[in-house]
Amino acid sequence: MKSPLLLGLFLAVAPLLDLDAKPLFQSGDRVVFVGNTFVERARLYGHLETSLQLAAGPEVEGLVFRNLGWSGDSVFGDSRSYFGPPAEGRERLARNIGEIKPTVAFLWYGAETALSVDQGWTDETADAAAKVSGSGLEASKALFLQGYQALIDAVRSAADGHLRELVLASPPPFENLGAPLPDQSANNRNLAAIRDGLRELAEKNGARFVDLFAALGGDAFDGQVASPALTEDGVNHGEAGHALVARELAKGLGYPEGPIAGKDSEALAALRAAVVEKDRLFFHRWRPANETYLFLFRKHEQGQNAKEIPMFDPLIAEQETKVEEARVAVFAGMPKN
Amino acid sequence: MTRPTLPFLATAVSMLGLSNLAAQKGLRDIPDTRIEAQLEAFNLIEGAQINLFAQEPAVANPTHMNWDAQGRLWVVSSPLYPHIQPGQEEQDKIVILEDTTGDGVADKITDFATDLHIPTAVLPGDGGCYVANSVEVLFLRDTTGDGVADERRVVLSGFGTEDTHHLVHTFRWGPEGMLWMNQSIYIHTHLETPYGVRRLLGGGMWHYRPETRRAEVFMKGLVNAWGHAFDTYGQSFMTDGAGGQGINFVFPRSVFLSSPGATRILPGLNPGQPKHCGLEILTGRHIPDALQDAFAAPDFRGNRVNLFQLTDKGSSYTSTQIDDLVSSSHGAFRPIDIKMGPDGAIYVADWYNPIIQHGEVDFRDPRRDHAHGRIWRITFEGRELVEKPDIVNATEPELFAHFNAPEGWTRNAAVIELRKRLDASAEIEHLTPPAGVDPELFALRKLWVSQATWPAGMTTPLDVEAALALTEAKNHKVRAAALRAIYYDAATIPEALAAAEIAVGDPHPQVRLWAVSVLAQLDSPDTVKIALRALDGVEVDEFLDFAVWSICREHAARWKPLTTEGNPFASPAQLLFAVRALNEPVALPQILAALESGELASDAEVAGIADWVSKVGSAEDLDRLFQFALRDDATAAHRTTVLAALDSANKLRKLQPSGDIARLAQFLQSDDAATFASAASLAGLWKLEPAREGLKAAFLDAPKNQARARAALDGLVALGGPATAQLLDATAQDADAHFLLRSLAVIGRTRMNPGEGAKLALAVLPDAPDGADPHGIYDAFLATQQGPGALAKALEGTTLPPAVALTGVNKAQSAATRPEGLVAALQEAGELKPMKTALSPEEMEAMMKQVAEAGDPHRGEAIYRRAALQCVVCHAIGGAGGVIGPDMVSIGASAPVDYLIESILEPSAKIKEGYHTTLVTLKNGNAFAGAVAREDANELVIRDAVGNENRIAKGEVAEVQISPVSLMPPGLTASLREDEFIDLVRFLSELGKDGDFKTSASRYVRHWQTLMPHPSTRDRIGHYGAKIFTDPISDYQWIPFYARVGGAVPFDELPEVEGRGRNRLGVARSFLEVKSAGEVKLKLNGKLADLEFFHGEEKVELPTDGNEAEVVIEVKEPGRQKLTLVGLRSHGLDGVSVEILEDAAKAELLEVKEF
Repeated sequence: MKSPLLLGLFLAVAPLLDLDAKPLFQSGDRVVFVGNTFVERARLYGHLETSLQLAAGPEVEGLVFRNLGWSGDSVFGDSRSYFGPPAEGRERLARNIGEIKPTVAFLWYGAETALSVDQGWTDETADAAAKVSGSGLEASKALFLQGYQALIDAVRSAADGHLRELVLASPPPFENLGAPLPDQSANNRNLAAIRDGLRELAEKNGARFVDLFAALGGDAFDGQVASPALTEDGVNHGEAGHALVARELAKGLGYPEGPIAGKDSEALAALRAAVVEKDRLFFHRWRPANETYLFLFRKHEQGQNAKEIPMFDPLIAEQETKVEEARVAVFAGMPKN
Repeated sequence: MTRPTLPFLATAVSMLGLSNLAAQKGLRDIPDTRIEAQLEAFNLIEGAQINLFAQEPAVANPTHMNWDAQGRLWVVSSPLYPHIQPGQEEQDKIVILEDTTGDGVADKITDFATDLHIPTAVLPGDGGCYVANSVEVLFLRDTTGDGVADERRVVLSGFGTEDTHHLVHTFRWGPEGMLWMNQSIYIHTHLETPYGVRRLLGGGMWHYRPETRRAEVFMKGLVNAWGHAFDTYGQSFMTDGAGGQGINFVFPRSVFLSSPGATRILPGLNPGQPKHCGLEILTGRHIPDALQDAFAAPDFRGNRVNLFQLTDKGSSYTSTQIDDLVSSSHGAFRPIDIKMGPDGAIYVADWYNPIIQHGEVDFRDPRRDHAHGRIWRITFEGRELVEKPDIVNATEPELFAHFNAPEGWTRNAAVIELRKRLDASAEIEHLTPPAGVDPELFALRKLWVSQATWPAGMTTPLDVEAALALTEAKNHKVRAAALRAIYYDAATIPEALAAAEIAVGDPHPQVRLWAVSVLAQLDSPDTVKIALRALDGVEVDEFLDFAVWSICREHAARWKPLTTEGNPFASPAQLLFAVRALNEPVALPQILAALESGELASDAEVAGIADWVSKVGSAEDLDRLFQFALRDDATAAHRTTVLAALDSANKLRKLQPSGDIARLAQFLQSDDAATFASAASLAGLWKLEPAREGLKAAFLDAPKNQARARAALDGLVALGGPATAQLLDATAQDADAHFLLRSLAVIGRTRMNPGEGAKLALAVLPDAPDGADPHGIYDAFLATQQGPGALAKALEGTTLPPAVALTGVNKAQSAATRPEGLVAALQEAGELKPMKTALSPEEMEAMMKQVAEAGDPHRGEAIYRRAALQCVVCHAIGGAGGVIGPDMVSIGASAPVDYLIESILEPSAKIKEGYHTTLVTLKNGNAFAGAVAREDANELVIRDAVGNENRIAKGEVAEVQISPVSLMPPGLTASLREDEFIDLVRFLSELGKDGDFKTSASRYVRHWQTLMPHPSTRDRIGHYGAKIFTDPISDYQWIPFYARVGGAVPFDELPEVEGRGRNRLGVARSFLEVKSAGEVKLKLNGKLADLEFFHGEEKVELPTDGNEAEVVIEVKEPGRQKLTLVGLRSHGLDGVSVEILEDAAKAELLEVKEF
């Protein structure tokens, strides 16, 4: 895939400069990521948080990131609902947000919709959403944006006045990996249309918008086979893909690339490892296994063990300190600007 | 191999060190962990021997295993299960076990990965291995050659983790080179794939194609399906670790037990079987002939591996259990996976744990084993092992030769290897079948190779031409397999439609089933039209019917709009099938016209129309149905069907025929019980006042005809008004009236007004015989929201005989709403002491000791079978018994004794998966509790604690809850003495363990009916002899009866039927379904001198003395065969068993379980 990054950067940065010249992060920010597969898998690699920690610069201290990604999720909360309808997934998300009280929220949806045009991507029952989601790009996109607006409102409301910054990310483009994997040209056209809608949605909501689709060459996608591939299957990113998308995200937020961005160093590897470990612990805290027995309809059998779940909190806090130490170490080893 | 087991010692010491009571009481249950202890406890099928292949610490709690092409066994193990503790590392492992010396023991052990989180499947292939790691499926690879994974890729993510023994699991390579995987009931999975989002909410099976990264759902349902195997022709079979229906035949879009929102489900092939984890088909030269192609399914609860033989039956199969491959009296032997090995031997993964499950037993129960695990190897004496094939170094033609090996292992290994050889198809294309290999099977395997090897750049690897040719093979199994090969990418194969169109008319139903499956993948507007042809010209069984039903629904948009123009299908019968499948008001005019013209006239068709119109029709449509029933030429069967349909239309949809309804009156004269019942109910619902007198007469005739009186009561209550109230008040208060009649009056009045009913109840209940409430007065109160309160209020300051009050307490405590106020009021009125439902730790300790030392399981079985305890009404043992509660077949082998005691005393403390009570509250306040039997868009069917099915209109439902309360009432055992209770627990604790209380594979007749005493038997037997019991006399009352676990019918438990003089007889009968005429061999055990035995109405001669006889019955007319046993109870006759000696695999012979 050709990567006309310059064009992408221009598109990504331009609206941001108009909107707000202030940097996104402040010391002590609590940052959440809400999204689907890309976000969920980001916890395995740690690039997303590491990249933003670096971008925020040495003076921004004590950033706390919480990854609420869930594979296959939609703006209606399909993946978060377990046994109930998507509405229960939205309630769950609101609870998670309410506990974290984020000051900054990244929302990251759209790939699921672009991939599933004509097939349906939600089981939401209200307003025949399930049916609409399976009937063509225009209807699907309109439904997506309508659901997204509700999601934005719900996140704001659940954050209970703490939310200072909202960031909408457009998903990065899909890739062609060659037969027998499918040609993603049509899906990328869908995604471009969805990206356009996201940009408007961000403007309407006074949110920052990062056009990762453009930044990674989506607009210039010519149907050629990607080399080197950033995704495992044309759709979902591997580690290298996550690293690049993370850098583009920071750039798209208006942060200049620091001197060590994209470079390997022991300190950086330590920071990323600390982030991954923190995310691992947090995963067991917010999305524990066995919820059926711990919290749901069989809690009368094993609810006594639910007490263990908050016992992850001190472990996460401890790991958070290690992340902060690792971050300081990274900047300590860095040449001063 | 008996290495010292230091890790175990450490564990044991730490357990002993625990000071809490649970740990102490449990220690006694922990079996001896030494290898010798397990070896001594094995019981093997004839000719088999067992040895240890590997053990802890190399494998601790293995969960799954698969072989690679080099003949190495990859095992995942999870000491972390069931739940990670805060601070605990994720250190579960993949270990590779290799036997380099060929002595049947693993001698090279490599930890391939050591950082996993409850891995539940591993499958080597594609140069690495796929592993299920909770949320994700990962691909791990060793790129440096040190034997340890250093590269990790996420293959799929978004699998649910709501229950860690339901996680994505059971990986297998299919013969076509796809990765197959299962997930279970509580798991909700959301995958973003290059083809779109794929969701599977609940259990089911996926197939995944690594080359295309395509994941699709194949089937849905099953509670916890940890077993999947392909037979020689590539058909899929699954086992279920919690569903208990043995082997399940699955096909695309098939739906089974527990699939959320399912409107229809398919049964397994062995209802009432133990639950299984894993499945392998025994093949190859090392396996004795008698076990060739047997399905081996580990029963981890029962510490054994069951075997089944399958034979073709219609589009599906008959599965018959044969002897166990291996069983053990060692309580920690937990076989959970079974695979044939490269040497032709059978390998069994032993999860090794005294505790299974983590729903019922605490996550942190110290008795859980987190340290042990074993892989056992079973071989057969005197049979040579198979030489391990060299797969890795084989040329393509050699590999293909391996694909024709008698060993399934070799065939599968060849597939794994061929996946890497991208040009293999070309090498193999010109090969011809060697001698002794079926040319069609050979061609099928070539086809699979073409699918399994997928060179980059090709859009489909399938040799379409070859596949099409095989759809015309002589062997129907090959034809079906060819369609299955086409199925996966059917949408891209232009010839698929034509092939399916031919195959829907195939002589064999299974080929038709696959033709319909292919159609379901296609975009053609004619798919349903073509699929419906599959129903014509063959015997349509449940599976084929399901496939056609499913496509009618899935492709409804393609045919529904056409019905406004007429019938888009070839016949009214096809249209009827389609509209019933859809269950929507479509094509009503066409269907009703066909009913009126007689084009649709069979009983089944009329019943189908009536049922469907009652669900979707308008008042005008109902009127046309009503007019049809009123026609002079309407048969009694048709009338009954139509009236029942009109009745449910009124109850569920508040709809009645638009025309003149007064003509209903003529049906109130009907002698046909069902017609009368529907007419009586309708007369009330439709408020037909002129019907009142007739209903009153029928009601008052209750002692003679209870069923008719109950129907009349329904009508009277629905008619309502002062006239009904006065009638019921007067009847209930008439002390001379029959108790039945008075009970019915209370019931009716309670339904009209619980307060008034309660007053009457206090007058009637004290007269209840033996304190029982045989006609359901209490139930009437418990069925309404106000009822329990009204009865409790009326009870204030009054007394009831203790037995009457106790009956009420038992019923109230199993009611959905668990009305505590009523329970208290009954306890006070009956001066009952509150029951003790929980034991202190010390009491539990003492009780467990007593059970172990003093409990007598044989006495316990007799107690279990007592009518008063009602165990048998709800629970089956090995399929014989009620279906309300879980089958107890291996409860003793799977559940700790304290769990059994607690479950009896306090049933709601732990509730088995799938047996949660659903509580449905209606808008009018009424409540129904039970299991959801089925549901569709309009109605919900709840099966209650006594097995009644209640149909509920969804529009009436206010709330549906999963109740934390068990359907089983506490205090059922309150009437037992302590020694009896101990015997009962001992009996339960022996169930499924090796010994007298393990359901054997012998085919004992277990489902019986027994005759209730009847006044005429004494006289008639004098004239005609015992043959009278074979007469189809309608007023004989037969009630269900089940054989003991050991197979015998205990005659001393049968009702006493009067014979000549002082003789007291026991009479029991059962039915066999026999497919073809000929001889059937049976064996009778019991005191023959006191027995008479009948086949149909013919007496079968028995020897006059002895205790055992083989008899042959001659089946002239295939179909249902009646067997009747008449025995002299008064002579002390005890157990009598009837065993079917026919070779289960051959004879098409089944026991009838529902009469």
